[in-house]
Amino acid sequence: MSLLREALPDLSWRRSVDVRRELAAGLVGALLVIPQAITFAYVAGVAPEYGLYCAVFVGFLASLLGNSPMVGGPNTAVSILIGLTVLPFAGRGSPLYTELVLALSLMVGLIQLLIWLGRGAALFRYFSPAAIIGIKAGVGVWLISSALEGATGMAPMTVKFLYEKFYIVLAGWQDLVNPYAALVSGITIAAGLLLRVRWRRSYVVLAVLIGSIAGGLIYGWLGPVASDLELLGHVTLDAWPLQTPVLGPPHWLFLEHAIAPGIAIAILGLAQTLVIARDLKSTVTPELDLHKEVFAQGVSNAVGPFFSSFAGSGSFNRTSVALEMGARTPLSGMIAALAVVLIAWLLGPVLTYLPMPVVAGVMVLVGIGMIQWREIRPMMNWIDGPVLLVTLFAVVFLSLENGILVAVVASVIFFVASASKVKLAISHEGGAEQIRVTGNLFYASLDRLAKHLHAHPSEHTALDLSRVPFRDATAMEMIKRVEIERARSGGKLEVVEEGR
Amino acid sequence: MKKLLFSVAGVLILSFTALQAEARPTIEELQKRAVLDDYEANVVFGYNIVMDSNRYAPRYAGNGLRCSSCHLDGGTRLDGFPLFVAGVYPKWRAKNGVRNSLEMRIRDCFLYSLSGVMPPEEAPEVLAVSAYISYLSHGQPIGTPPEGWGVPTLPETGADPDPPRGQAVYKRECVMCHGADGAGTAAAPPLWGFHSFNEGSGMNAVPRLAGFIWANMPMGKERSLTHQEALDVAAFLHIQHRPFDPREGKLKKLAEEIYHGLSRLFGKKEPVTPQAAR
Repeated sequence: MSLLREALPDLSWRRSVDVRRELAAGLVGALLVIPQAITFAYVAGVAPEYGLYCAVFVGFLASLLGNSPMVGGPNTAVSILIGLTVLPFAGRGSPLYTELVLALSLMVGLIQLLIWLGRGAALFRYFSPAAIIGIKAGVGVWLISSALEGATGMAPMTVKFLYEKFYIVLAGWQDLVNPYAALVSGITIAAGLLLRVRWRRSYVVLAVLIGSIAGGLIYGWLGPVASDLELLGHVTLDAWPLQTPVLGPPHWLFLEHAIAPGIAIAILGLAQTLVIARDLKSTVTPELDLHKEVFAQGVSNAVGPFFSSFAGSGSFNRTSVALEMGARTPLSGMIAALAVVLIAWLLGPVLTYLPMPVVAGVMVLVGIGMIQWREIRPMMNWIDGPVLLVTLFAVVFLSLENGILVAVVASVIFFVASASKVKLAISHEGGAEQIRVTGNLFYASLDRLAKHLHAHPSEHTALDLSRVPFRDATAMEMIKRVEIERARSGGKLEVVEEGR
Repeated sequence: MKKLLFSVAGVLILSFTALQAEARPTIEELQKRAVLDDYEANVVFGYNIVMDSNRYAPRYAGNGLRCSSCHLDGGTRLDGFPLFVAGVYPKWRAKNGVRNSLEMRIRDCFLYSLSGVMPPEEAPEVLAVSAYISYLSHGQPIGTPPEGWGVPTLPETGADPDPPRGQAVYKRECVMCHGADGAGTAAAPPLWGFHSFNEGSGMNAVPRLAGFIWANMPMGKERSLTHQEALDVAAFLHIQHRPFDPREGKLKKLAEEIYHGLSRLFGKKEPVTPQAAR
């Protein structure tokens, strides 16, 4: 019954909605998402239309089925992972590649629905915020490095470690770098960084505008051949892009290979969605249901491929802009999704001439936006710091999906490490020793206490366990053994449990 | 005896390779297959782009033409700009003064003949057309132009191409399919105007256009025009309006026009006299 309640759209927000604010937030969100959608489609390796469809359909469904002002749609990390997963199996951007992307997205959505059925939202509580911030920063580094080719007008290249790419470009810049492309992307990035100080919400849109004007002037003056600037090309949006994901033998074979990355994408998407949802729950919408958001994400990703869109997730930057604009209900997300169709249709002829170095510049700006010192600084302590750094290095130097695995393991290790800290307060009162234990007693935290108890077999000890909320079988066994040992050598162990 | 054995073996091997060469699947066979490997899938994609550029390569195609408007029969017809020319690339071309890879050559077609957006060399559409061209080039010579490539070069007729005569020929022979305004019909592509090839394309040269017209037009009555008629029609088509050469930057051209206009308005109006020139 509760599953059904989570699965049906909850429209209770209707009663307290401020339509004008939602409308404003939605329109700004649509303007923001268009350059991002095109960028992330490029990152995922598919035609720009698919990114826009993702902004429309995944965004709309996630808002409709969820119950929060969270904005869904194309997402950096998910797009990068989709690209990395599909690239070994088909030529980038070919029809087969696109079919595989859609099949993968469908699988991701279904995995997310399974996680919903398994009440997986609870599990993400153990995903440490430090790990999330580490992944985010790592994705930012990936995004910047994958923008390098586009920003310099080179063909995409594959390298084992991303710093090799910078080396290649630096070593061979005279032959490899198209100066006009580098100029246009440089102007876009510089404009974005300067404008970010003043216009924190809309600086990307303004940077795209400035970069496009610069690119347009160069292109217009020199022409396509002399400038060799790559343009976006015609974006042909279909208002109702229905298609059935193709699932032939090659697709099944691919999906079989892509199960592990698929799970990684599903987890990464949900992790971001739930971090946003958790923030919202503690600040704006206390009645938010995490399970419902998981369901909304799963359904929108599973249904999205039928509308030609790849998988997405909640978006940090667009949600925070929506909140700043005063969005409090899912209405803003739905308005944003619908407005994308309108704006992209109006902009269509102009979008054709959007220089790709500008898109690369947006990638760099979004990447820089993901590495926020403001978020990283509070994590620089002895528990969060190592998790963050280990995750960041794993993401940057291994790969995104391995980074997620490392993040989970690191979270667990440091969670266990911090949970296994027990405090022993030892005092002596009239010849008898008193030990007051604070913390959980289990196999991992038992060491110090056991060592201490075994060291003085003939002593009288009162062991105060009233501040031990949890003890496992190993702990009970140890205490029993000490009791026997003491009885044998003339000592005594007395377990005190006040208030139990 | 040994010699005989060797020759028998040689003949067997030769016939086997010949059989293999014959075993190239047709596009129809490929389209019917459930599973294609990456190369075959790319070939089919390239074939689709060649046959219907606006539908399968909408991102870069621009006008009302498709590749097969000039590369007749999907690039398989002799003397109709056949596409089985992978063997001659990479080659130097006067057009851009560098050695062109097949991909570089293909993107020129998008820019000039399709009057669209120039795709990058590694664009999936370009690679697909490249795969299709390699597929067609199966069994063709490497390094030398294959039989029937391009279009025939017409011999000297002794008379200049004459547009007015060409217009008369156009009205007689071409209007049926290409329309009186040259905008094309369902049966044939546009020949001039905003939806046709631009001034930078290879078809915008009278001798080549004349060779194409003589060898392939009107459809069904090929080679029925005289050489002079073909030249005249080509000249008539050449002087029509079409999108201008994209190599010249539009802004630059605009600035030049404005500069010339202004200098005509405000500059010295007297013609240059022999004294001043001296």
